[in-house]
Amino acid sequence: MDVTFYISAAVAVVATLAVITRYNAVHALLYLIVSLLAVSLIFFILGAPFAAALEAIIYAGAIMVLFIFVIMILNLGPQAARVERIWLKPRTWLGPAALALILAGELIYILISGGEQEPKAGTAVVGANEVGIALFGPYLLGVELASLLLLAGLVGAYHLGRRSGSEGSDSPGSGRPNGEKV
Amino acid sequence: MSGQDFISLLPLTVLAATVVLIMLAVSVYRSHILVLLITLAGLTAAAAMLPLAAGSGPRRVTSLLVVDGYALFYTGVILAATFVVAVFSFVYLRKQQGQQEELYLLLLLAALGAAVMAASSHFASLFLGLELLSSSLFILIAYPRGRLNIEAGVKYLILASVSTSVLLFGMAFIYDQTGTMQFSRMAALADANAGVLFTTGLGLLAVGLGFKLALVPFHMWTADVYQGAPAPVTAFVATVSKVGVFALALRFFSQVGIRPQAHLFLMFALIAIASMLAGNLLALTQDNVKRILAYSSIAHLGYLLVAFLASGPLAITAVTFYLSAYTATTLGAFGVVGMTPCRGREADAVEDYRGLFWRRPWLAAIFAAMLFSLAGIPLTAGFIGKFYLLDAGVGSSLWLLVFSLVAGSGISLYYYLRLVVVMYMRPRGASSGEATASCPWAGSLMLTALLAVIFWLGVYPAPLIDMIQKTAALK
Repeated sequence: MDVTFYISAAVAVVATLAVITRYNAVHALLYLIVSLLAVSLIFFILGAPFAAALEAIIYAGAIMVLFIFVIMILNLGPQAARVERIWLKPRTWLGPAALALILAGELIYILISGGEQEPKAGTAVVGANEVGIALFGPYLLGVELASLLLLAGLVGAYHLGRRSGSEGSDSPGSGRPNGEKV
Repeated sequence: MSGQDFISLLPLTVLAATVVLIMLAVSVYRSHILVLLITLAGLTAAAAMLPLAAGSGPRRVTSLLVVDGYALFYTGVILAATFVVAVFSFVYLRKQQGQQEELYLLLLLAALGAAVMAASSHFASLFLGLELLSSSLFILIAYPRGRLNIEAGVKYLILASVSTSVLLFGMAFIYDQTGTMQFSRMAALADANAGVLFTTGLGLLAVGLGFKLALVPFHMWTADVYQGAPAPVTAFVATVSKVGVFALALRFFSQVGIRPQAHLFLMFALIAIASMLAGNLLALTQDNVKRILAYSSIAHLGYLLVAFLASGPLAITAVTFYLSAYTATTLGAFGVVGMTPCRGREADAVEDYRGLFWRRPWLAAIFAAMLFSLAGIPLTAGFIGKFYLLDAGVGSSLWLLVFSLVAGSGISLYYYLRLVVVMYMRPRGASSGEATASCPWAGSLMLTALLAVIFWLGVYPAPLIDMIQKTAALK
C-alpha cells in the first residue's frame, strides 16, 4: 500500500507541475484532471472511498468538463476548427494519457489484490454511511454554513456576471463572462 | 441538539433567516428601501436575541460552536457595525444606477461568517466562517463593477485564496500532531507532544490569519483593496472582518497558549513591531485618504497585538475594548469619506478635503473627531483604548512592544493632523463651487451616533469595561 501511495503522489505532483507550466489552457486542464484523479486515488488508498468517488465525480468530472466547455465556447470563431485539430495532436494528449494509464494500472492492481485492502495501522476505512452520519450528526451546523456559503457564491456570480445593460442602454459585449466562483 | 441549543443559536439563525427573507423579497419585488428596512430589522432582531442566548449560559453547541459571553459580545459588535454599514451603503448607493439589493444580502452573509468565527471552537467552523466572510467580501468589494472595483476584488480573491490554503496547511499539520480539530482538546494534547510539526502548524495558521488581518509582512493587498472598494464596503472590511478574525485568533491562541511556544511568541512580537512601524511610516507618504486609513488600520492591528501577546485577564479586556473603540471610529471615518460630496466620484484624495470645514462644518467636525480618536487624543475612545493596551503591555513587561506602540502613535499624529489641517484651510477660490449635495438625514444621524459613542467611551468608559469584564472573559 505504501508503494501505491507514493506512485499516485508522484503522479499528482508531476501532473500539477505540468498544469502550471503549460501555456495552453486546455493542455493545462488535461493535466489538472489527471492531478485530481491522482488525488482521488490517494483518498481511496488512505481508506476514504467516498471522498475518492466525490473527488472523481465532482472535480475531475463535472467542474473540469464545465471549464473545458467554457474555454471551447469562448474559442468559437473561424479558426476554432484549426485550433481543435492542433489540440488533438498526439503530442498534446500523450503526456496526460500516460499519467492516467499509470493511475489506471494502479487502480486495477489494488482491485485485483483484494479491493478493500487492509487499512494501515491506526486508520480505518470510512464508508459513505459513516460520512453521512457524521455530516448530519455532529457536523450539521457545518452543512448549513456550507449551504450559506454556496448562496453567497451564487448571488455573487449572478451579480458580477449580469449584463450591465439590463436596466439601461444595452451595449453588446459589456457583460462580463465571470463564472470564477462556482 | 436540544431546545437550549437552538436558543443559544438564535442570533445566528435570525441572521440567516433574514438573508433568506431578502432573497425571497427581491425575487418578488425589487425595492432598495424595502431591502434596507428588512436588513435593519433583521440585524435588530438578531441583536435582541443576544440576551436570550446569554441567558442560557455558556454552551457548547455541537462540537463546532461555543456560544459564551465572549462570542455573544463580539457578535453584538459585529451586528452593530453591520447596521451602520448598511445605512452608509444606502446613502452611498441611492443615487447610483443598477441593482443594489444584493449588496445587503452579501453584507448579512459576511456578518454571519464573522459571527460564526467569533463563536467557533473547531477548525471546521473556523474554515466555514472564514470562507463565508471572505467570499462575500470579494463580491462586495467588486460590487459597483467599475474597473478599479473589479481589480480590487480580484486582488482580494487571489490573496484570500492563498492565505486560506496556507491556513488549511497549518490546520493539517496541527491535526496530524494532535488528532483533534477542537481548540479545547488541542491544548491538552499540545503540552504532551509539542513537536516541530505542531509549531509549524501554528506558524502557518498565524500566517493565514495574518493575511486576513493585514499584519505587516502580509499587508500588500490592503491599500489597493481599501482604495478600490466602495467606501461603505471598505468600512466593513476594516471593521467587521477584522473583528471576526481577531476574535477567533484571540480565542484560539489563548486556548492553545502562545507563551510556552517561544518561537511563536517571537514571531508575533516581530510582526507586531513591524506592523506598528511600517503601517505608520507608509501612511506618511500617501495622498489618498483611503490609503492613509488603510495603512493606519495596519498599525492599529499591530497595537492590538501588544495586548494579544500580554497575558492575563486584562489583556482580553484591553483587546475587546480597543476593538470596539476602533470599530466605532473607523466606521465613522469611512462614513465621512463616503458622504463627502465630490463631483460624481468618491472624495478620496487629500486635496478633496481642502476647506471641507467651510462647506460642510458638521461633516468636517465629525471627521476631525474620528481622526483624533484614531490618533488617541484624550477625551476620545481611542485614548482609553490605547491606555488599556499600554497597561496590558506594561503589566507583562513587554517593553520593546510598548516602546514601538508609543513611537508608532507619535508618527501617526503627523498624518492624522495633516488631514485635519487640510480640512480647516480656506478653499482655493474656484473649487468652492462644488455642489453642496444635501446630506441625507439617515447618514448624518449615524455619524452623530458614532460621534456620541466615541465621546461616551472616551469620557465614561466604565460601563463598557464592566460589561466586557463580566461577559467577555475567556474560560
